[in-house]
Amino acid sequence: MATLVLDNGAGTAKVGYSTDKEPRIIPNCVMKAKNVRTRIFVGDQLEECKDLSSLFYLLPFQKGYLVNWDIERQVWDHMFGKDRYRVEFSDTNLIITEPFFNFQSIQEAMTEVLFEEYQFKALYRCNAPELSQYRYKYRYMESPLCTLVIDSGYSFTHIVPYCKGKKLRDAVTRINVGGKLLTNHLKEIISYRQLMVMDETCVVNQMKEDVCYVSSHFSQDMELARKKGPENTILREYVLPDFSHISRGYVRQKDDTTERKGEEQLIRMNNERFAVPELLFHPADVGIQEMGIPEAVIHVLSKLDEEMRPHLLNNIVLTGGNCHLPGFQDRLYRDIRSLASDEYDVNIFLPPNPITYAWEGGCLLAQDPDFENLVLTRQDYEEQGLSYALEKFDVW
Amino acid sequence: MADKRESARQKTAEQKRVLDDVSRRRRQRKVLEALEFDNFSEDPHADLKMSKKAPKFEEAMDVNGPSSKKRRKSRGDFKQRYRKTFAALLEEEYLSSQQMVNREGVTYFSASAPPSPLPERHFCAVCGFSSNYTCVQCGARFCCIRCLGTHQDTRCLKWTA
Repeated sequence: MATLVLDNGAGTAKVGYSTDKEPRIIPNCVMKAKNVRTRIFVGDQLEECKDLSSLFYLLPFQKGYLVNWDIERQVWDHMFGKDRYRVEFSDTNLIITEPFFNFQSIQEAMTEVLFEEYQFKALYRCNAPELSQYRYKYRYMESPLCTLVIDSGYSFTHIVPYCKGKKLRDAVTRINVGGKLLTNHLKEIISYRQLMVMDETCVVNQMKEDVCYVSSHFSQDMELARKKGPENTILREYVLPDFSHISRGYVRQKDDTTERKGEEQLIRMNNERFAVPELLFHPADVGIQEMGIPEAVIHVLSKLDEEMRPHLLNNIVLTGGNCHLPGFQDRLYRDIRSLASDEYDVNIFLPPNPITYAWEGGCLLAQDPDFENLVLTRQDYEEQGLSYALEKFDVW
Repeated sequence: MADKRESARQKTAEQKRVLDDVSRRRRQRKVLEALEFDNFSEDPHADLKMSKKAPKFEEAMDVNGPSSKKRRKSRGDFKQRYRKTFAALLEEEYLSSQQMVNREGVTYFSASAPPSPLPERHFCAVCGFSSNYTCVQCGARFCCIRCLGTHQDTRCLKWTA
């Protein structure tokens, strides 16, 4: 009997059998290419697409919640189907993740689709940070008492404290800034300042991943970016792909000033490089009246008993794609260190791959001897009904 | 001939119109909403479905899945109640959270991070560096005369006022 682990994120789904070494990272959407009019691209079929300009996205998620089931089922059909995982539904357990505060009717729909349409053998629904903290505890012989998971994904960022494996629900805090917003903001400012790229979500997202970073000295970097010539160590020139000679954008090296062909399009990335990720730390910079991550961490701690705070600060785990931004961990450490009481140690753990960390936790959970008792079987669902199926899991 | 005459003063007054607070907030809200858009343009294939040769996407995708007749049938009449927009779900959630007002527990709404107590930082809407000035008309920030010029030529009161 197999167990499939699906970390169903709004940006990418991380999916694989619990015995696999690595998951597949599949864009959780259906895409249409402007210049390929004969077909659409479902999930990771995008690899077959040569021309990523003006990709049109159909996303199943809105603001982090699954609302468009028709699209999600297209992606799942592809994922579970013969081209990818060839799932034998009647003999497969599924571990699937959901966002926090998932709305009741989405939970109902999810349970129904998975049992009645796909006919999985058994189901385990949970929040992705639950799997992350499970994975984190596994690192230690003596597992830490509390874990604070910072999950900064595509739609939003959640800060979730766990104590002895249970989430402390009253303190869960959300910041409505995620990777999607960062990309859209970058798109907007480049389009205004340099070149119209509003349709190039995919290209700008790669640009963000290639050149953006989190600044640990924000005002110093601002001053550096103001300078002209070689004194400006921030400025990068980014070559946009044209999808005939250049299939992917790249940073132009500073020394090859000579051999510019004059054909390629350049974007000058100056203060944009760090002002965009800065939104995670200061959402108010674009008018989102919320705390940044470090302040929100302190806000979460203030809601909890004082005895827990040192344990939480000592076990902060970063997950989600935004944690790949260079300098993210350093900046977070600096800020939390200066905000938290100096009698506590601050320890922030950045996994080698923060995107797949929750998936890895799911694989470990599947091997837990207790796992069989945690799942909801299809038989249970058919006998006891939907309301029982919803109560079984502590998701909301 | 009389109606061709126009007052230069009145004409510039229109340009110098100061946006009130309500419209400034509405503008700000629209900017934030734009940051959540999935796509900027319309579906590039929207005109395609008229052609008979073009694939009908929904049906085409069934081939990939472990499809059976049974599943395709149920896909057709997939419960209407699950077809909800995010706004509808949010409202539903809001109503149910109102009912359990006295019960303890957090909801989607209360889990949102509170506003930061730190003072707001200001950045030039044109170049992104720190700004010391505010556009009188629309409230956007700018850092120097040059940026103000660009702002007035391109953005100020020019779109979605």
